[in-house]
Amino acid sequence: MSAHSQTPVPPKAPEMIPGGEGLRAPIALVAVCVILTLVGVAGFIAGVMTETEPHAWQAFLVNFLFFFSIAQGGVVISASFYLTQARWGGPGAYRLAESFYFFIPVAFVLFWILFFGRAELWPWVTKPVAKNPTWLNTPFFFAREGFALLAMTALDLWFVRISRRVDVRQWALSNDNIEMPPTAIRRIAPALAITYAAVMSLVAFDLIMSLAPQWKSTLFGAFFFAGAFWSGIVAMALTAVVLRGRLGAGNLFTRDTIMHDLGKLTFAFSVFWAYTLFAQYIVIWYGDIPAETFFLVVRGALIGGPAGYTIYTPWMIPTWTVPLLVWVVPFVVLMGVKPKKTPAILGTVAFLGLVGMWLERYVLVVPSITPHYVPFDWIELAVTLGFLGIFGLCAIPGMKLTIAAAMAPQVLEAAEK
Amino acid sequence: MSAEIELVGTFAEEEECVHAVDALKRNGIAFRVFSPIPSEHLLHAIGRGLSPVRAFVLIGGIAGVLTGIAVTVGTSWEWNLVVGGKPVVSWPPFIIIMFELMILFGGLSAAASFFLFAHLPQLDPIPGYSERFGADRFGIAVACEEADSAKIEALMREAGAEEIAHEDPRARTLEAH
Repeated sequence: MSAHSQTPVPPKAPEMIPGGEGLRAPIALVAVCVILTLVGVAGFIAGVMTETEPHAWQAFLVNFLFFFSIAQGGVVISASFYLTQARWGGPGAYRLAESFYFFIPVAFVLFWILFFGRAELWPWVTKPVAKNPTWLNTPFFFAREGFALLAMTALDLWFVRISRRVDVRQWALSNDNIEMPPTAIRRIAPALAITYAAVMSLVAFDLIMSLAPQWKSTLFGAFFFAGAFWSGIVAMALTAVVLRGRLGAGNLFTRDTIMHDLGKLTFAFSVFWAYTLFAQYIVIWYGDIPAETFFLVVRGALIGGPAGYTIYTPWMIPTWTVPLLVWVVPFVVLMGVKPKKTPAILGTVAFLGLVGMWLERYVLVVPSITPHYVPFDWIELAVTLGFLGIFGLCAIPGMKLTIAAAMAPQVLEAAEK
Repeated sequence: MSAEIELVGTFAEEEECVHAVDALKRNGIAFRVFSPIPSEHLLHAIGRGLSPVRAFVLIGGIAGVLTGIAVTVGTSWEWNLVVGGKPVVSWPPFIIIMFELMILFGGLSAAASFFLFAHLPQLDPIPGYSERFGADRFGIAVACEEADSAKIEALMREAGAEEIAHEDPRARTLEAH
C-alpha cells in the first residue's frame, strides 16, 4: 500500500487521547523527590569540599551517565518503534518510552558541572597524553561534547514534540491498517537513531574511555549505547509494572500482551548487551596485549589466562555482578512466556537490571581513577539519591501523558483488537 | 474406511471456518481443515497444542553445545599444546564454537522435525484439497457415509460455508486438480 501522502491524515477528534492536564503528581512523591534532590546537592557539595579523594565527582559522572542513558534510551526506543511501525501498545507504548525525556535537557545543564571537576576525573587534563594532545585537551573536549549533547537534546525535544502530535497519535492508535507513520515522524526517527549512535559513542569514548587514555576498544561506543537502550527498556518495564497496580482496573498495563512484549524486549536486548560485551572481551583476551588487558585486570574481569593468571582485585565482585544482573538473570528468568507475563517477576528482573546498569556505569568509570579499592561510601549514596530525585521530578510531565494514554478508553479499545 | 463420499466445505472467513470446526467437533465428526494462513484461532478450535518441533529445537541446541565442548576440549586435550601462553583448555574462544554449534544443530533439527511433523514432502494430494485453500479460502473436508452427508452439510452451511462439494474419493487423481 502506498502511504506516501503529502497531506497529513485529518485528525478525527483532537481530544481523542486526553493530555495530562487533569492529572496531578502525588504531593508526597514530589516532596520525596525534592528531599532526595536536596540530599544529593548537600552530599555532593560536602563531598567536593571535604574529601581529598574525588568521590563526589566520580559519583556525579556515574549517575550522569546512568540517568542520561535511561532518558535518552527511552526516546530512541520510541524512535525505533516508529522505524518498525510498532503499534502493539498504541500511543501508550510511545508515551511510556518518552516518559523520562525531560531529564535530557536537564542532563545537558548538569553536564557543565563536570567542567569544574575535570582535573579530578580525567588524567589528561593535568598530564596531557603525548600521543594525541589535539584530541584530549580541555577546550576541544568540552566544545565537542557540548555541541554533541546540545544537538542530541534539540533533536530529542523536536522528536518528542512531533511524536505527540494528533496525527501521529492517531496513527499509533489505529492498528487495523498498514499505513506508514506520518511523514514528519518518519523523517526524524532515523535521523534521531543515527545521531544517537554517533553522540552516545562520542560520550562513551570521551567521558568513560578517556578516563584511562591508554586503553581503547572500538566497539566500546556501541556497547555503551546498547546498554543505554536496554536501560531504557527496563525502566519502561518497571514503570509499566508499577503503574499497572496503581491506575485502576483495566488500564493498558494490565494487558498480558503488553507485559509479554516488554518482557521480550528486556530479554532480547539483554542478550544484545552481552553480545557486545563478549565481542570486546574475546578480542582483548585473545590479543593479550598489556595496553588492552590492564583495563580488565584492574576490574578483576580477566579469567582463564595463562595458568594461575586470574588476578583477584577488590573490583571483582562488582564487576561480575554486572553480567549476572544484566544478562544471566534476565536470560534465565525471562526465557519462558509465563514469567514475562507475571508482573512481579518482570518487575523484579527490571529493577535488578537497573541496579546492574548502574553498577556497570560504576565499574566502567571508577576503577580507572581508583584502581586499588572500591571507594563506595555515603557520598556516592547521597549523589545517587540526588540524581534519583531530579530524575523523578523530570519524569512528572512525561509520566502524566503516559498515565493519561494508559487509561484512555480509545487506547484500551484499540489494544483489544 | 467405509466412507463413501468426501464433503468439502469452502469458507471465505476464518471465523466461519472456526464455527464449522466447533460444530463438527460437538457432533464427534472427524475432519481435515485447510487454511491459507497460519491461524491461531483455527489451531485453537481444532484443539492442537504446542508444536512438538519446539522440543526438538531444544534437544538440537543442547546437543550442539555438548558437541562444541567435545570438539574444542577434546582436540585441546588430544594435542596438549600451549598456544600464546594460554592454558591448554581456554574457555573464552570455546564459547563461540559452542554457541555456533548450538545454533546450527538447533536450526537443523528444527527444519528436520518440521518436515517430519508436517508430513512433508507431500507428493500425493490430500483428499479434499483444492488450490483455493492455498490462496484465499478456508476449507473443511469430511469423509462420511452418503447417508450422513445431509446432516454434515447442514452443519457447515449453518456455520457459513460458501459452497459444499461432494467428491468421490475413489475417483481422485492428480489431474483432478
